[in-house]
Amino acid sequence: MTIILFSGDLDKAIAAFTLATTAAASGMDVSIFFTYWGLNVLKRTTFTISKSQNFLQKMFNIMSSARLPISKLNMFGLGPWIMKKLMKKTKMAPLEDLMKLAKELGVKYIACTTSCSFFGVTKETLIADVNEFAGASTYLAEAKDSKINLFI
Amino acid sequence: MKSDRILDCIGFFCPMPIIKTNIELRTMKSGEVLEILADDPGFEKDLPAWCKMTGEMFLGMEKEGSIFKGYVRKK
Repeated sequence: MTIILFSGDLDKAIAAFTLATTAAASGMDVSIFFTYWGLNVLKRTTFTISKSQNFLQKMFNIMSSARLPISKLNMFGLGPWIMKKLMKKTKMAPLEDLMKLAKELGVKYIACTTSCSFFGVTKETLIADVNEFAGASTYLAEAKDSKINLFI
Repeated sequence: MKSDRILDCIGFFCPMPIIKTNIELRTMKSGEVLEILADDPGFEKDLPAWCKMTGEMFLGMEKEGSIFKGYVRKK
């Protein structure tokens, strides 16, 4: 299974990782290609601002950080706060747990190099779980052999 | 139904019961039976679907109140 995680929304990331972990637990090879806002899911720290970034890249990294919003009812951060609280209450697995499981189950992470360059995000500012830094061809080569492909 | 091991997934939502089942089965021997307890309503359909996909043998599903008891024989 191959997934393109384009979105940087918490709820969409949870949906992507729910399917990725289940597929991996069903014996499928799973790759997730993180591009555009999806890179926010991989950021090591909340804000990834570095000296090498230009002004616009810094602005982007401040406004779009690892503090993931939700796709509906975000309400300036109140939505994600309520969602996390509710998830804890209902014992729904949080994104951190799903990502930890994904790694244990051998899910492969590919970070889009074009998006990384565009946002001024480097290998050092992303979590060590990223397996590859590559582009569209690497993704397509995997997707070609995959029976399930999702764009989230 | 008789089982060799019981896995308690009560209180956990999809995908956790299936993932826990997968991880638990990896530590078991071929032919052994795992009993999984879960209260996620989706589990009733998900366990046989997962078994069909992976080739593990689905032995059956029992329901006691809101608790499901699923049985799987490791291939």
